[in-house]
Amino acid sequence: MSFHGYVRPDGSVGTRNYVLVMPQGIIAKTICDFVPGTKTLITTDHGSGRTQRDRETIARVLIGLGRNPNVASVILHAASPGVGYPELRAERLADEIRAGGKRVEILDPAQDGGTYGAIVKGMQLARRMVYEASKLRREEVSDAHLCLGVKCGYSDTTSGIAGNPAVGYLFDKIVAAGGTAMFGETTEVIGAEQTLARRAVNPAVAQAILDAVALREELAKATGLDIRTVNPVPSNIKGGLSSLEEKSLGAIHKAGTAPIRGVLKYAERPVGKGLYFTDNWMGSLSIFAGYAAAGANLVLFQLGGGGVAGRTLLESCPSVVAPFLWATANPKTYAAATDSVDFYSGTVIEGTETPEEAGERFYRIVIDVASGTFTRSETVNYADPVEIYLQEPRF
Amino acid sequence: MPAKRALVMHPSDNVATAVEEIRAGDEVAIPLQGASLTLTSVEAIPFGFKIALQEFAAGATIVKYGETIGLAGQPIVKGALVHVHNLEGTRARGDLTRRVER
Repeated sequence: MSFHGYVRPDGSVGTRNYVLVMPQGIIAKTICDFVPGTKTLITTDHGSGRTQRDRETIARVLIGLGRNPNVASVILHAASPGVGYPELRAERLADEIRAGGKRVEILDPAQDGGTYGAIVKGMQLARRMVYEASKLRREEVSDAHLCLGVKCGYSDTTSGIAGNPAVGYLFDKIVAAGGTAMFGETTEVIGAEQTLARRAVNPAVAQAILDAVALREELAKATGLDIRTVNPVPSNIKGGLSSLEEKSLGAIHKAGTAPIRGVLKYAERPVGKGLYFTDNWMGSLSIFAGYAAAGANLVLFQLGGGGVAGRTLLESCPSVVAPFLWATANPKTYAAATDSVDFYSGTVIEGTETPEEAGERFYRIVIDVASGTFTRSETVNYADPVEIYLQEPRF
Repeated sequence: MPAKRALVMHPSDNVATAVEEIRAGDEVAIPLQGASLTLTSVEAIPFGFKIALQEFAAGATIVKYGETIGLAGQPIVKGALVHVHNLEGTRARGDLTRRVER
């Protein structure tokens, strides 16, 4: 199959067409409030007082979001607390984003008439840039240009039975079509790592998977805590999951059956196409922005929900420029929040659809969304702040 | 009354996941390849929770997806609910690690 997307100068294809204004702060926010068709990154993680490794992670997020195929052009400003560090200088970020062939403009309050001057200049620039972006037409392209990132959350036993397997079917189809699919959540691989390692394309990748899991398990043990007081999280236990191993073994079904080509850091862009494991954290405010920075042009949240009654509206998790899609296999979750759910696979449990039929239906929904159909959460004007996955102490 | 449904994920599993609300004393049918295993629940098994397909001695391995999901923390009878009260996860357990070190 194919979808209709926006072809970028580097050959990547967007499912959306935004002007991105970064980093966080009043300049970016005010410009975006004034100009439709723009997106900004809302986050408290600006890099000040952070180690060089953490600042590189922030830079990877900013550069990656700028290079995301859903972005037509970028405005950067030089008024963030962390901007004085070499990794986060606006010129450095701009150069790396421009390497993908995109237009990048820089606002500098020191040269553009202060904060007010930078805002006004940015409003004018952003208006022109969204106008130019709007002239671009969608073109029919191969599914090989799809790049998906997934997280499963509020997991319950429906996640492992019918929710994650539907994602796995979808991932297998996309990888078979030459596309890219990313999964991760290292804590939720503990207990299932051998199964994943056997699917690695070579021994080095297998070892990288085992090493990532071993480090996470050592850190968990070093707390001295019963992991079940942390993860499985309370909603998992309320939904019927009894151990981290059980959660992990259900969670990895979302990775389908394709060979695993590599292990990525948070917000790291895969070098080739295929299936990738990302050594990231499950936090929903963190993980999707990381996938978007890695190049995802669409992200999925596979929701259990058995342990969270009363959620009749599912707002999106922050993915900045990637459309965000909700999937669930739990009939109660679906009944409670029907108009928030993009894809329901509880039909497999109910016996009204085979896993293959559900997976094919999911694939067609993804193609529609990639071609411009809104996800349900795109009909709600709300964005939580992004929590960039930073792992080092702050000073 | 028709039997209630529970699913196994792998032929070697020794627990099944309820996909209906099961009450104490209900007949439970587990579809297997070409056949169906039936047993009687000894207590309520809520939707999505696990039922023991066999008797477990304390310390016996509990298998789902064909893999170990934990050990029986106490003896478990066939048809009983298997959850955090009687299933002990063994991975990433900082509390167990400390106990060993003392």
